[in-house]
Amino acid sequence: MDREAVVEIESAENLETEIDRLRDLSDKAEAGDKEARRELRRLVERASPAAIAEAACVTRKAEGMLIKTISAGEPHLQETLRVRLRDMRAEIAGDNPTGLEAMLADRVVAGGLLVEVLEALISAQYGRDVGKGARSSPTYILQQSKILESATRRYMQAIQTLARVRKLQANTRRVQYNTQINVRP
Amino acid sequence: MAWEKRNGSLYYYRSVRDGERVRKEYVGSGPFAELSARSDDVLREQRHLEHLEGRESVARVEALAEPLCGVDEVTEVLARAHLVAAGYRRRNGEWRLGRG
Repeated sequence: MDREAVVEIESAENLETEIDRLRDLSDKAEAGDKEARRELRRLVERASPAAIAEAACVTRKAEGMLIKTISAGEPHLQETLRVRLRDMRAEIAGDNPTGLEAMLADRVVAGGLLVEVLEALISAQYGRDVGKGARSSPTYILQQSKILESATRRYMQAIQTLARVRKLQANTRRVQYNTQINVRP
Repeated sequence: MAWEKRNGSLYYYRSVRDGERVRKEYVGSGPFAELSARSDDVLREQRHLEHLEGRESVARVEALAEPLCGVDEVTEVLARAHLVAAGYRRRNGEWRLGRG
């Protein structure tokens, strides 16, 4: 295994540990544990920038995969899609987004793209001019539709979360830290 | 679907699903039964290929959706942690600023 792969696995494991800890402390703090809330604040300030950057990196990778699928290796189309998504991301994230807002905007854009791709893949099988061999049986179209339904639900949830974070963060003091999110996938 | 040997002759039977049950349907013997058996083989092979292609298309769709599933969970936990750390808590599904 090369060094890059080892680093990637280690960072994924670290992210998982941090996420488990954040989830656990959030549960306790929401249940009224004041010490857990203090610890959560410390952890959010200390660990979340790295976790946000890691999540943003994974989102960009997933987005890159989707772009490759849509463009079918066509470089011009790939570039056009990248520019379109970058503009969408900038528009959704708004001016001076926090690291969390930027990550949530990434997720909204990638989720929207996934829904578009899945809709195109599935609806292509309903066409009249589709040959019998290219059309999946209703059982499989139903399975694909369920995956699309789940992706759509998660996309809507991403929009809702971003809107909620924006609305609620506007009423609270911001935790200021710098998060590096690599723009190139 | 099978050939059955009775009194030295071969007879072709076809399995037919009838709701929950599978029953055996007599087709015949001789050249007509052989033709039916071959036709059934072709249909079975076709169904098998459709099954494989269908599974492949579902796997392709799953592979596209899967990477974002993991990200979704992480972003939800992070967003919630930020809100809880900022003093918010959920009341009947609605986020409100707590007192402490």
